[in-house]
Amino acid sequence: MSTENVDAVGPVRNDPTPGEQKTGVRARLSHAWRPFRRASRVSRVLIFSGLGIVVLFLLMAFVGPLLYEYGGTQYRVEVAPGEFEPIKALQPPSGEHPLGTTRDQFDVLARIIDGASLAFAVMALAVSIAMIAGVTLGLLSGYRGGPIDRALVTMMDAVYAFPALVLAIITAFALSAIMSPGVVPAAAAVGVVYIPQYFRVVRNHTLSVKQEPFVEAARSMGAKERTVLGRYVFFNVVQTVPVILTLNAADSILVLASLGFLGYGVPPPTAEWGYDISRAITDVPAGIWWTALWPGLAIVILVTALTLVGEGLNDVINPLLRSRGKTGPKIEPAPREDTPAEDHTAGAATGAAGSAPQAARPSVAVRGLRVGYRTPDGPLWAVDDVSFDIHPGESLGLVGESGCGKSSLGRALMRLMPPGGVVRGRVEVAGEDMVGLSESRLRRKRGEDLGLVFQEPMTRLNPLLKISDHFIEMIRTHQPDVSKAEALERARVALSQMGIPPTRVESYPHEFSGGMRQRAMIALSIALEPKVIVADEPTTSLDVIVESQILDLFGRLRSEQQIGLLLVTHNLGLVAETCDRVAVMYAGKIVEIGPVEEIFNDPKHPYTRGLLASTISLETTELHSIEGYPPNLTDPPPGCRFAPRCPYVMDHCTDAVPRLTETNPGQHTACYLYPGAGAPVPEGVRAPEGNPQETGV
Amino acid sequence: MKPGSLGRYIVVRLLLAIPMVLILLTLVFLLLRAIPGDPVTATLGGRATPAQIEAAREAMGLNDPLIVQYLEYMGGALTGDFGTPVTDPRGVVEIVAETAPATIELALAGMLVAVTVGILVGGLAGRLRDTPFDIGGRLFGIIIFAAPVFWTGLLAQLFFAVKLGWLPSSGRAGGFDQPEWITGFYVLDSLLTWDMAALESTLEHLILPAVTLGLLVGGIFIRLVRVNMMQTLRSDYVEAARARGLRERNVLYRYGFKTALIPIVTIMGLQFALLLGNAVLTERTFNWPGLAQALVDFIGQRDYAAVQGIVTFIALVIVGVSLLIDIITGLVDPRVRY
Repeated sequence: MSTENVDAVGPVRNDPTPGEQKTGVRARLSHAWRPFRRASRVSRVLIFSGLGIVVLFLLMAFVGPLLYEYGGTQYRVEVAPGEFEPIKALQPPSGEHPLGTTRDQFDVLARIIDGASLAFAVMALAVSIAMIAGVTLGLLSGYRGGPIDRALVTMMDAVYAFPALVLAIITAFALSAIMSPGVVPAAAAVGVVYIPQYFRVVRNHTLSVKQEPFVEAARSMGAKERTVLGRYVFFNVVQTVPVILTLNAADSILVLASLGFLGYGVPPPTAEWGYDISRAITDVPAGIWWTALWPGLAIVILVTALTLVGEGLNDVINPLLRSRGKTGPKIEPAPREDTPAEDHTAGAATGAAGSAPQAARPSVAVRGLRVGYRTPDGPLWAVDDVSFDIHPGESLGLVGESGCGKSSLGRALMRLMPPGGVVRGRVEVAGEDMVGLSESRLRRKRGEDLGLVFQEPMTRLNPLLKISDHFIEMIRTHQPDVSKAEALERARVALSQMGIPPTRVESYPHEFSGGMRQRAMIALSIALEPKVIVADEPTTSLDVIVESQILDLFGRLRSEQQIGLLLVTHNLGLVAETCDRVAVMYAGKIVEIGPVEEIFNDPKHPYTRGLLASTISLETTELHSIEGYPPNLTDPPPGCRFAPRCPYVMDHCTDAVPRLTETNPGQHTACYLYPGAGAPVPEGVRAPEGNPQETGV
Repeated sequence: MKPGSLGRYIVVRLLLAIPMVLILLTLVFLLLRAIPGDPVTATLGGRATPAQIEAAREAMGLNDPLIVQYLEYMGGALTGDFGTPVTDPRGVVEIVAETAPATIELALAGMLVAVTVGILVGGLAGRLRDTPFDIGGRLFGIIIFAAPVFWTGLLAQLFFAVKLGWLPSSGRAGGFDQPEWITGFYVLDSLLTWDMAALESTLEHLILPAVTLGLLVGGIFIRLVRVNMMQTLRSDYVEAARARGLRERNVLYRYGFKTALIPIVTIMGLQFALLLGNAVLTERTFNWPGLAQALVDFIGQRDYAAVQGIVTFIALVIVGVSLLIDIITGLVDPRVRY
């Protein structure tokens, strides 16, 4: 149930936002209202429709008896002073008795009205009892620790494991030995069930707060430990208790009705919904429906309403679990621009590029690729009109700041998009366009022609499958005629090539170290000898030795098997070490592409220069960085996207997007500082030259 | 046994269950014995003479110090002696043997309905997120959980038994179609004796209570399966599996569904307590002669010894179920084995 999730919230500290310094009640109100404003419309509707129903029931409970002519335990009507006429039993609904009458000659509607006030009374009492007991014990347990804590925790676990209703029945039974039945023992029996929940929340918060540095600090400044603890525990618990409280209130109505149904609740003839339903058991075989239907309906509606309030509150207070609304507008599926391969950008990219063999057909040819997402702030193109080639055995580094679209680009090559993501343009892999491909054909190409190596090796393998199963499954999915034994043998070979003993093939992923898992992932990605491997930060989470092993591995695969490599990374050193060419991405566009030596020694684009200068070089100890932040892609700046941050910005930079143009042999730059980008370079403008790590930007 | 092996895991889990048993039994003892009030007066009522009361106290061992009573109770519970009721000539063990099969049969059938509904609807809702099917499934989960099980049971009786006359409204089997008592599980007994009339009657009688109970618990399962399925389908290894070009069916089943099932199995185990609690109500509604009915009857007769014995048995069942769940989890998930 959702109360389970509540514990996970952990301590929450609200830092006041500067500039919003109101005081007094209004500030408090607006502060309390803030999470509601941020919550989705669905949760607001849930909370308020639920609250509305609860208020209606409250009105019914308190005003109803004054307005309605019958009482809940009234079985006769005074027709004249001192003269009574009994109410007829088991009358179907009519004008006189809108919901009918019971076998005990009571009016059903009057019973429901009276039952509502009883339900609210028991609910309030039961939840208070549970909260007071649970909070007290939780504070005691968390604060004192030691054997008291252990005893209370085991005790509460036992109570929690026990069937709630059986626990309530037994408590009612035990209480009946010391007090006569009535509202208080019934509420106590119901309340016992919920004590462990409050206990757990309060104890966990007290424990975690006790270890927080700020408690230590407050203590050392002479504040009373109890005051400090009390205040912080209170503020943290206040975040979770409303949800538990509401859901318990809902549940308490069910438990009370169940007790009443079994005859262990509030004694008759007090109007109680569960008891009334139990009286209806004998009516049902006679086809009498109204005595059972109405009280049950009252329970369902009130409990549903309270549950909605609780769930809605949970959404508001605990935004991590908030349901994802379809907030973003849809990206219109723009007609695919059939960018021909001879296009200017493509021509630029393919050009005499470093060591790549000129004549060979590229393994991957990307033309005018765009990758879009729906976000709560509107649609955005994370990758916008990008073109490049990767030749057999060649390695292309893709660098840029986080959020520039490089990971999206890597995934888009495989058309591996999250729901709501779209890919446009052309991605030719081994002569076939991935974008227009059917699902089944696409599935074949994934793994066979393109291998993907992820950043996080720890979580990429199925924890329930052995390493061998991963290989067998993949090989046999793509090559059904390979036998299991043969696939297993290939798995052994693949692993030993990666330096993993073939005997480990029967291990489970959790028995491997991080480095071994990453090597196993790579072995898996190349098991079918793809044309190109896309490696997204493949070494970020690994140590230096494993990193160099993996880089060696990529080098071997390229030279021995002519596998192409797209290395997505923010680590320029890695690119310099491993790659033939490098593409620099900024805000969804490639701003510069070319051979590694050219770009590292003579970067042309101001952004590339800034990026290179940001890395600490051995010669200068100074750390340069680029001023400002990357633009918001839901509303990209016009023209060159780097213009707002560019130290060389000119008036016409914001007019149109600059084209990639050759600036050094094989090196292409999209910047108006260089002729050919689409606008003439104004007189007197001198483009920067040389290595920025030596000269500065 | 070698670390990580299943056998070792099961042995360790069995050992860990022992303290759980002790704690639950202690809780039962505390609840029923250590509270103020006198079980004998409560049981015999006001009519008993002081001599009768004294004799009964002596017979029940209530004059011994609390610690002696505790040790005797624990010793009895652990050696299978659950005590003797005051109001019933049978021993608690006998009563349990006669009524528990009915409850277990109902609980298993209810669990079957719950798991089927939960996995089918929840799994689909997780895949078809935010579609009308998903929203309908979630709404059903909330509303069915808000409805008292005895009320849905009565409505089902009213409609399917009284109005349509399709199914019987109460009891375990028709008067002449009761199977010969072998195990007490009517479905099993009628199969063992190959008594088709009894089987038909038994199943007919089982449908309404099992569906009533199962839909309630199924409502929770729907929510649970849906959330877990959604989380798993977003997980890294599912993306990696797609990147390897595995079939979508395979991705959904082996990577999505199977891994999502582990937390589900664990929580389903926790919901067993809920199922038992609601079985009490279902049995009363459908006049089902089970253990829960017996417990409620003994409470009505204020028979402390019988209540204590049956509750002790229920506590043992809970530990047994949680042990079973842990073993199943160990079978499915290699990571949890010690």
